[in-house]
This record gives sequence, C-alpha cells and structure tokens, in this order.
Amino acid sequence: MPLKIFILIKQVPSYHNIEIDKSTGTIIRKGVNNIINPDDLFAIELGLNLKERYNGFVTVMTMGPPQAEFALRESLAMGADNAILISDPRFAYSDTLQTTLILKEAFKIIQEYDIIICGCQTSDSSTGQVPFQLSEALDIPLITDFFTLEIENYLLKSHRNFGHESQNIEVNLPVLLRVVSHFNSPRFISLPRIKTSFDKEIKIFDFKTFNCPEYIDGNNKSPTKVVQIDKVNLKRKNKIIDGSVNEKIQSLIHLMREHGINGVNHKKLNISGYK
Amino acid sequence: MNFELTEKHQLVRRSIRNFAEKKIAPHAAMMDKEARILPEILEELSKMNLWGILIPEKYGGAELDTLSYIITIEEISRICASTGLTLTVHNALGASTLYKWGNEEQKERFLFDLTSGKKIIGFSLTEPNAGSDARGIESLAIEDRNYFVLNGSKIFVTNSEIGSVFLVATRYQTNDGQEGMAIMIVEKEMEGYELGPKEDKMGMRGNQTRSLYFNNVRVPKENILGQIKDGFKIAMETLDFGRIGIAAQALGIAQAAYEHSVEYSKGRIQFKKPISQFQGISFKLAEMATAIDAARLLVYRTAHLRDLNKNFSKESAMCKLYASKVARKTSQEAIQIHGGYGYMKDLPLERYYRDAKICEIYEGTSEIMKLIIANQILRGNI
Repeated sequence: MPLKIFILIKQVPSYHNIEIDKSTGTIIRKGVNNIINPDDLFAIELGLNLKERYNGFVTVMTMGPPQAEFALRESLAMGADNAILISDPRFAYSDTLQTTLILKEAFKIIQEYDIIICGCQTSDSSTGQVPFQLSEALDIPLITDFFTLEIENYLLKSHRNFGHESQNIEVNLPVLLRVVSHFNSPRFISLPRIKTSFDKEIKIFDFKTFNCPEYIDGNNKSPTKVVQIDKVNLKRKNKIIDGSVNEKIQSLIHLMREHGINGVNHKKLNISGYK
Repeated sequence: MNFELTEKHQLVRRSIRNFAEKKIAPHAAMMDKEARILPEILEELSKMNLWGILIPEKYGGAELDTLSYIITIEEISRICASTGLTLTVHNALGASTLYKWGNEEQKERFLFDLTSGKKIIGFSLTEPNAGSDARGIESLAIEDRNYFVLNGSKIFVTNSEIGSVFLVATRYQTNDGQEGMAIMIVEKEMEGYELGPKEDKMGMRGNQTRSLYFNNVRVPKENILGQIKDGFKIAMETLDFGRIGIAAQALGIAQAAYEHSVEYSKGRIQFKKPISQFQGISFKLAEMATAIDAARLLVYRTAHLRDLNKNFSKESAMCKLYASKVARKTSQEAIQIHGGYGYMKDLPLERYYRDAKICEIYEGTSEIMKLIIANQILRGNI
C-alpha cells in the first residue's frame, strides 16, 4: 500500500505587496498576488520526496476561499497526486483553533492517513499553532525540528533537534510532521506538469460535507479575533551618546531600560576597566 | 474580452521566473562574457522540459499553447536573452516546424530527441549573399538516386555550436529538371558537414553563432521536410511564427532594463533626493512602462491569434517591429538613468542594450517587417 501523505498548505498574499485596510484592520486581499505560503513549500517538497522514496500518494489540502484553488493547482504542478479544498463561507475568519477543528472533521472523512505534513507558520499571520493543535485533535504524535526521517514498516525513525542536544525517536504511523524552514529545496515546476495540473479535479469539502458539529463556525466561535493589523515600518534612528566611557555605558543602560529591555544589571557588568 | 492571464498562464510565468532567477541568473553575465552556454544550464532546461513547449505529449513535449511559450521566452530572456534565443529557435523554428511539416516517420525519428533536449535544432536560411532577400540563396542540392547532394554555406546560424540537427533551406534540382527551394533536415553526423569559426558578436553572446559548410553532403530523400517544392512557403511560415518569439525575447529584455531602472532611480540620491523624484528621470520610467505594456499586449494578442488558428503574419511582423524597438530604446534609456554605472560591465544594463539590438535585425530586419506589414495592408488585410 502506498503511504497516504497529506500536506496542509495555505494561500497567502505575496508579502511584497501587503496593504492594510485601515478601517477594518485587515489585509487587503483584493487584487493582490497570492502565493503558496513560503514555509509550506518545504512541506510540499518533503511530501513529494517521501513519496519518491517510499512510494506514496500525496494529497495537498488547504482551507480558504475559492481562489485558494490556485495554490492547490500549483502544488499539483509540483507533483502532488490529489488536492482537497476546504471552503465554505461559514469557515471564514477561523482562528487557529477553529481551523484545527475543521481539519479534524476533514480527517474524519478522509479516515486513512499515514503522514500529515505542515510548514512552520504562515507569512500572513505567523501563529504557527495548527500543527500542535491538530496533533492533539487527531491524537497522533507530532515531530518538530527533525533533520532526518526514515520509514520502515510503518515505523518512522527520526533525528530531531532538542535544545542543544539531538534526539533519536521512533514512532508508529500515523504521524504529524512540522517541517522547519529551509529543510530542503522546493522543486521547480516543469512545464508539462502545468498542463496536467489544470486537468485534475479538485475535491471540495464544505459545511455540508462535514455534517458539521455546532462548535464549528469560523466567524462566531473563534476564541481569538484579529482586532487590528498594522504595518510596521522598520526605521533605524541614530543617537550619539556623549561623555566618558562610563557615562556612555550608564546612558546606554538607561536607554535600554527606557525601551523595555529589562534584566540589564549594571552592577554585574564589569565596567571597572573603563575609566 | 479578458486581458487577464488565465491561472495556467500565471503559473507558467511564476514557475519560469522562479526557475530563471534561481538557476540562470547567477551565470548570465559569465555566459555573455565568455560567449558560451554552460552545459549545466542546458541540463536544467531539459529538467524543466523547455525544449518541446508546444509539442504534444505523445512526442515528449509539454503540449502548452503559444501564449505559454511566449511567456516562457519572455521570462527566460528577462534574465538571459541568449538562453531565451537558444530556446526560441529550438522550439519555434526547429521543433514546431518539424512537427507541423514533418511526416510521421520524421516525427518519430526526431521529436523525442528534440523535446528531451538530447538534440538541439537550428534553422538555417541566411547565406553570405542572401539575408533579407531570402529567395537569393545559393546552396544547391542535386538529386542523386535516393539522395540529394548538398553544397553551399550558411552564415550566422543560431544554435550552430550546440545543435546537431538543422533545418536547412536550399535550392534543389531534380533529375527531371524541376527546381525550387526545399527545406532539408541536415544532421551533424553527415559526411561533408562542417562547422565554421566562432563569430565574435556584439550581443547574444551566450548563444554561439557559426557558419555551416556543406561539402557534397548526401541528404537522404526521407530528410526532405514536407513537399520538396514547399521550401519557401515553409520558411516564410516558420519565420512568421518565429518572430513572435523574438518579440517575446525583446519584451523580456525591456522588462529587465525597466525593472532595474525603477529600483536604481529610487535608491540613487543626487541633489539630496532620489533621482526618481526628478521629472527628467520619472518621465523616462513612464515612457518605458507605457511602451512595454503596449508591446506586451501586441505580442500576447498575436500569440492568442495563433492559438485560435487565425492568420497572424501581419501581427507577428508588427509585434517584432515594435517590441524590438521598445527593447532597444528601453535598454538605452536604462543606461542613461544609471549614468556611468550603466556603462560599466559590472551591471547588466549594457548587456541588455547589446542583446536588444539584434532583435531589430535577425529573423527579418525592422525594415523587412515594415514591408511585410505594408504588403498585408495593401492586399486588403487592413
């Protein structure tokens, strides 16, 4: 049996041209170039790589508005075998918890899965919570920060970073993997695959598909809400500190405290040498 | 009427741009300087299946439409025009011509090697004494039992260095006294085939150009493309199509020069402000953007006409005439915006200018383009 590999991706606005609607405090998505979330490309590449190494069948899944289909087409063009779009107005504005619950419903329908792969976080919200929540929701192990993966008879062996150490772990499938950024080099899309990727049918999961429990309602049941998004303009400000070295250090510490950098204990700093 | 690219075409642009920026860009300046294409680049192009963009899947091609092909050439040329040239000649003048006019045996024999990039093809019409006047070619193939014995020479042959199959336009004489122009498939291995010395070119240096000499080359009759008497027709139709590719190439060069200019003018401070704040510069940017957009619409529409199986002779001449002019002017103004830096070889601006110039010359000069357009107009295709 080929391994049943699921890759979870998200379509995000290309970060080159993100603009904020000041009145609603949300990102303007109209007319913006959408791309596959950059971190998810590493997840796709890993999925395709596992497919090639161990004979698998790769399904890419995303939740989003109908236009998110384009991200799935792109994934199919990269080499995925199948795609599922989870889309319904009632799923809109889901926070990470609602998203997880909806994904859980999706996997109830899918039933059989061996490996689920997520990227680290999305470039448009940077929450990075779904992999952790989903592993709880599905009650399957989650491996993060791994740098090797081997699979034998549904047993996955992995080396992972753990602080300053590395761990060797073994788990039985199914498993959820969270891929660190730049784990691999996502492949280029070759031209013939573009044609076939648009010929494939994309499965749609909507509210009705799920026979949805009442706890699912993106807009109203999300415990967290985005109140406001602001664009941060990073600008350096130069300030020249005058005085003797000691005075300079004192003003520097003062400045750091003023800017909320606590834990600077000037008594512990050895400044006796600078007079 | 929809001027938006379809998602499929957007995906073509996105994937080719990503590929070109990552794989070709690091080598573009070097390939220009050393006047050669890296074998690694040829391999990468094969991995991306860029050698048979328009050829059906059953012959190993990508089976995409003309617009996808045009976007591919545009995006590759935005990074490296001479790699774009290698591809456009191989795809449009070579593989597509063989696919359109070749018989089943010829398709089986050649197309798989061409679409996989195992063999690269060129198209060769120009001779030392016949450029714009294509009917004036002097190469001659004389019938001899199952062969035609070919003598003559071709000049400025694109892909000659890396190519191993050439569609050669030649005059012919049969035993029963028929004469005309034919297209023959000449292979590198044939006895009497000889490669001339390297040309030292102003631009498009990554694609080495040489002469081809034919000394009693015995071309088997099964290597004649289409009907023997159809040579001139095949050549003209091939060039009609080829010109859209050259226009796409020009578009890519113009786009690159323009993008560089916008970036540079925003960052270059003179008289205490970015030079983009001076109308002398910003008006140049406005002119560039307008001209490129107009050229792009013309080129894409011509590609679309071909996809609709409509006649596009006039339009392909128009888009080559206009896009090549836009490329030359844009790259020239880009150097002006960059000032002294633009003149230096450290930046790619002067390469764009050198590469752009040939677009007004090869596959029919701008003057010939005007003749073609005028002929079409006066024949009633207003």
